Amino acid sequence: MQESVIMKIHYGTALGAVVLVAIHILFRMTQNFSESLQYESVIANYHFLPYAIMLELILILLSVHGFNGLRVILLELKQGVGYEKAVNYGCIAAIAVLVAYGSRTILMAGFGM
Amino acid sequence: MERQSNREGIKGWLNPGRYGLERVAYWLMRLTGLGLLVYFIAHVFETSSIVNGKEAWQKMLELTQTTEGHIILTIVIGMCVFHTVNGIRVMLGQGGVGVGKPGRPDYPYKPASLNSRHKLCILASIGLAALAMMYGLAVLFGE
Repeated sequence: MQESVIMKIHYGTALGAVVLVAIHILFRMTQNFSESLQYESVIANYHFLPYAIMLELILILLSVHGFNGLRVILLELKQGVGYEKAVNYGCIAAIAVLVAYGSRTILMAGFGM
Repeated sequence: MERQSNREGIKGWLNPGRYGLERVAYWLMRLTGLGLLVYFIAHVFETSSIVNGKEAWQKMLELTQTTEGHIILTIVIGMCVFHTVNGIRVMLGQGGVGVGKPGRPDYPYKPASLNSRHKLCILASIGLAALAMMYGLAVLFGE
């Protein structure tokens, strides 16, 4: 994929994440901060489907944005065919692992598994 | 070989002093980005304890809802605000907004893109991050 396309994805994921993370934080502010972190309150959040979908979107957007940012930093530091391949595939693998692990939490908490 | 020896690697990346405020912003952008990525991974791991039941969740809360935990969260708030506001500045700059008109490069070769508007934006992002951190401290410790 062209770097210009990757940067557009980077900026797109950033803008999407800013909006959704703001909503995510505002949910914590609807009640007292420590109350909002109580088990029942958090589980209720996961059972609320639109909120769970939003969490999944945040997970995907931030994983892509974060690991692409790390990839850019690592490629700025050093170049080379083998190194660049390792960084690119390493970051894709890290995105996949983090999204899978986070999705597991959202699904299990959402469906009460 | 000459080129190899000029490479400063991570030392060059970490030196914010040579190129003014824009270099500091570049450095802070990467530093906050890495910090936020570490926090995000830790947050995904931390919240996964909810699937192990109420007791596991309470144990995790006891670990994170401490003075140290709140200080870390306050730093995360600051990093998040700076990264967001400065990121929007960078995006607008790359889109050609606020970078000035291209002109003939005359001595002392001041790049039009590194102008007062962008410097003001960088200072504003640092200021907003400080304000957000103060608000975060008030919310986290004011309970």
